[in-house]
Amino acid sequence: VTSPNRERSATRALVLGLLAMPFGIFAPFALWSGVRSMGRIRASGGMLGGARSAAIGIAGGGLGLAVLLFGAAYWFLAS
Amino acid sequence: VTFAGRLVAFLVVVVVAALTYPGALTVSMLTSITPPPKVSSPAPAGVMPWLHVEHPSVGRPYIADDRGRLVLFHGSVPADLLDFGTSGRWSAPPYPIDPSAYSGGQCPTIVDHTHYPPLCQTDLAQMAALGFNSLRLPLSWSLLEPERGHFSQPYLERVAQVVDWARALGIYVIIDMHQNAYSKFVGPGDGIDLSANSGAPGWATITDGMPSRLLLKNQREANPAVIESFNNFWYNRDGIQDEYIAAIAFLATRFKDDSTVAGYSVFNEPQPGWNLPPGFEDLLLFPFYRRVIDAVTGVHDGLPCPTGIFMPVFCGYRDLGVHDLRHMFFLEPGLLRQMTDFPTHLGLPLSSYPNLVLDIHAYTHGFTLEKLLNPNSDPATATYPWGGFDQTYSLGEREARAMGAALFVSEFGNDPKYDTLILSSELEEQEKHRVGFAFWAWKENGDSGSWGVYDAVKSGEAAASGCVRPARERQLARVYPRVSADADLSYHYDSKTGAFTLKADGRSGDAPTLVYIPHEVSGAVAAAGGVAGISTNPDANGGRLISVTPSGGAFSITVAAAPLSLASCA
Repeated sequence: VTSPNRERSATRALVLGLLAMPFGIFAPFALWSGVRSMGRIRASGGMLGGARSAAIGIAGGGLGLAVLLFGAAYWFLAS
Repeated sequence: VTFAGRLVAFLVVVVVAALTYPGALTVSMLTSITPPPKVSSPAPAGVMPWLHVEHPSVGRPYIADDRGRLVLFHGSVPADLLDFGTSGRWSAPPYPIDPSAYSGGQCPTIVDHTHYPPLCQTDLAQMAALGFNSLRLPLSWSLLEPERGHFSQPYLERVAQVVDWARALGIYVIIDMHQNAYSKFVGPGDGIDLSANSGAPGWATITDGMPSRLLLKNQREANPAVIESFNNFWYNRDGIQDEYIAAIAFLATRFKDDSTVAGYSVFNEPQPGWNLPPGFEDLLLFPFYRRVIDAVTGVHDGLPCPTGIFMPVFCGYRDLGVHDLRHMFFLEPGLLRQMTDFPTHLGLPLSSYPNLVLDIHAYTHGFTLEKLLNPNSDPATATYPWGGFDQTYSLGEREARAMGAALFVSEFGNDPKYDTLILSSELEEQEKHRVGFAFWAWKENGDSGSWGVYDAVKSGEAAASGCVRPARERQLARVYPRVSADADLSYHYDSKTGAFTLKADGRSGDAPTLVYIPHEVSGAVAAAGGVAGISTNPDANGGRLISVTPSGGAFSITVAAAPLSLASCA
């Protein structure tokens, strides 16, 4: 039994997702990378791995984007 | 993906989120819906009215007196209690700490080549003569806590002595935990002049062996040893942040019942270390401010966390037993904001404690980017900041409102040769935005390029022998409203003619608006519109305090143009 090849952009999604939480500017890129990576992994029928990294990218990117949007909205509404 | 894998991924996201913006935002929103603490006991009787931050339902929070009136501070910053490094020509601190050296009107002789003359009782009288009603008093942590865990009682008494002098003259004091380039203990090095460094004691200066040298010419902060020391402070290396919080609690314990102390300026010009904005402020600096407030007031805005190690964004701080619920906390954003005149944070609310003041340093064309990049740039033709002098004030108002804080300019100043441009523009903006000021610096040794209100005081002369600079007396000794029930009033003083106009709205029963007219201004006073009464009270300095009681509706107060009688120098 061989382990599946790792999907190329999963690691990128992971790194961007973790960066997106302190630095919201990375959030859209993390989401984009994570969603694309997850799509390729699912379509590969088990031939590609890295789903956990892609999921972190999606979660981190989503959280980062939510915070970015909320923070920006707060600034414009409260200031 | 296995269950364990999913769990690990989930935990990674949760931990990183808690440590970063999602955590910051959650704590911030929780504090903003937490009811402010209730002050149960009556205010201790004081000579001066207690101040607080008023939060109107519409508009910006503002500093207010015990009758809810807007209070405007006009004052300066004497830097004489600071502990600067040695220049090779003197050993710091150059002046005695023991208050007895200043009692009974005594004043130590000026020490050669130090940056500042000593702060003596006559200085406070001179401030009052210029119409100042406040002073920002910078202290050095290194003198307050020279040995870890041991606070200096003589230094505390020296601070109390200045507060006593101020009280006798009706001047409020903002006690400022000051620093310049972190500390004088960052170490000597090529091109390093430690005579411009002050702040942390040696035991709290952790450079990790970083070299002390300038990465940028003439920029004392651009020093790896300074940057690393700041970084270690923000990450609470060896518990030094805990010690700093304890030092502020020590001060607060002494002045808890003293209404002369307006509040505490928690950290002067915070440098980010190796951290980038906006994370520096939102994830490190402002949570640190929240912990200071928790410790001194006893509010519980963050989660309980172990101390002595890095305290993440969600951490509060334990109650240190001071329970000071009356003083204001003056909170300065990071140094990069001063360099850009632009917000470097999200303006998130940081505490449920209501008496918060965002204090900014307005050094437009003095320390803003274009000047730092090109020291020879001409302020008159500078293209940055894009919004001109107004930029830092307009954005500061928005930042303060978002944070639920009042706004104050805790430092501004300039080379005297730019008084007609920079000084007058800054003062005009402060009037426009109804914000008080503390002018840097009160007195400074040196030459004609020194920044003091007074001419440079040379060695060998009596301590107060420097002359007040005519251009500064003309502009800083201003007619201004000290208090007004209308926080949205407008006013303008013309320092060329001595004319003054104030427009406000009043309701019957409102407390009077008080306008101070310094002795330099002799024009006739008039009030019009909805005014129930006007009275004039002369002060000991020849100034006039005008009290106007509104009867309802719009009213105005004017001072007619008349030649100024500047005291200048005999």
